Amino acid sequence: MWKVALSTFVSVVLLTTFVFVVWVVATHDYHWEAIAPYRNNLFSGWLTTVGISLAAMILSIAIGALLTAGQVSGHRIPATLCRVYVEFIRGTPLLTQILIGYYLVADAIGWDDRIGVGIVLLSGFSGAYFSEIFRGGLESIPHSQWLSARAIGFTEGQIYRFVVVPQAVRRVLPASAGQFANLIKDSSLLFVISVNEFTMQARETGTNTYATFEAYLPLILGYFLLTFPISLLSRHLERRYRYEH
Amino acid sequence: MSIEIQGLTKHYGATRAVDGIDLVLDDPVKVLALIGPSGGGKSTLLRLLGGLERPDAGSIRIDGTEVPHDEETLRVWRRRNGFLFQSFNLFPHLTALENIVLPLVEVHGWKRGEAGERARDVVARFGMSAHLEKHPAQLSGGQQQRIALARAMAHEPALLLLDEPTSALDPEMKAEVLDLIEELCQGGQRIILSTHEMGFARGSADAVVFLGGGKVVESGSATDLFDHPQSATVKTFLGKVMKW
Repeated sequence: MWKVALSTFVSVVLLTTFVFVVWVVATHDYHWEAIAPYRNNLFSGWLTTVGISLAAMILSIAIGALLTAGQVSGHRIPATLCRVYVEFIRGTPLLTQILIGYYLVADAIGWDDRIGVGIVLLSGFSGAYFSEIFRGGLESIPHSQWLSARAIGFTEGQIYRFVVVPQAVRRVLPASAGQFANLIKDSSLLFVISVNEFTMQARETGTNTYATFEAYLPLILGYFLLTFPISLLSRHLERRYRYEH
Repeated sequence: MSIEIQGLTKHYGATRAVDGIDLVLDDPVKVLALIGPSGGGKSTLLRLLGGLERPDAGSIRIDGTEVPHDEETLRVWRRRNGFLFQSFNLFPHLTALENIVLPLVEVHGWKRGEAGERARDVVARFGMSAHLEKHPAQLSGGQQQRIALARAMAHEPALLLLDEPTSALDPEMKAEVLDLIEELCQGGQRIILSTHEMGFARGSADAVVFLGGGKVVESGSATDLFDHPQSATVKTFLGKVMKW
């Protein structure tokens, strides 16, 4: 009974909110012609965001995997260092990390490719989150699997390769898809080092035309076009690698 | 097989799982059953025998060879044996066939083709051929345990260690798995098992060891131990479990 009541309540709240928001947004008086001259800027900004996101996804998985390996290595020094890195990165604002990373650290080593530095900084940030997702996945594999793998005579490396990692991969898919979406949206913070990505272009368009909503509304479509396919792909992979029936 | 255990001790924190076991068994013993109350040390002793745990003190010799102490040699020791757990412990992401093939290929260095053939042979012997391509979650408990047994037997282990192999099964499946183990006993396979199946221990084991409180309470031939138990602990225990 309370289940029906609860689900009805949630449905009604969601539906009314949705209808109301769509109505408000749709009935606003837009002047799309104001931003028309900037459409190429917006598109090139979107492409930059796509490029940065793709590169940072790959790099952040690699960083996340290395941080996880360091933490489960069983050696105290790398485990502690990785732990400190993860806690520090997750506990401080990305915005500040980007500012310090570009204007102080990258400057000190004479690297001024904004996009390159941006990709590395984003990956370093997102990698910390991935390492927590991966570590959780590895630790969720029951002890009995380790026991029987050891009884068979597998080495520790073989246990990870053949038994633990293949099972953990499926378990980390949903959380990883979420982290990918975060990564894509976080790339908008690269505006602080003047990377001409999607959000940056929307800001400039808005500033130049005073057509704020017209400039920012395309962001919804642009980011959703990137995050939604990832969500679909994750669901597809989850189904494909399902072995509990 | 001959077994010589001296001063064997294994503690987990304050729990004395195995608390100074001394035991000598002679050559004619092919099948050894460990019985006794839960928490008496059966599982721990079995894991020490199989090289899955390292003792805090003491030593084990099987056929004159000491169970090693360092991880590297212990792995070689484990590879010679086969181990079966109460809770099946198949790898859920692999099919029944792959569960058997993977260790043959990666641990024992067989070629894939040979490993596949061997796996099919063993599985056929265990009456499970129809289920080769299924994942563990699609199999019943008894079927999973038979596949796990096939995995433990595929490389023809010198010694088969079974840790309460039927405790998690319902009666009908229990019988199926026990039949299979009995068949292995008849075939001359050397087996050490811990079990609560007194009928099975009595009928199939050459020697029985009663463990309680991490110590050997009594040991001897199945007939001696079941028909003429010496200690009060064993008498009480058998009285209780045989009652129903």
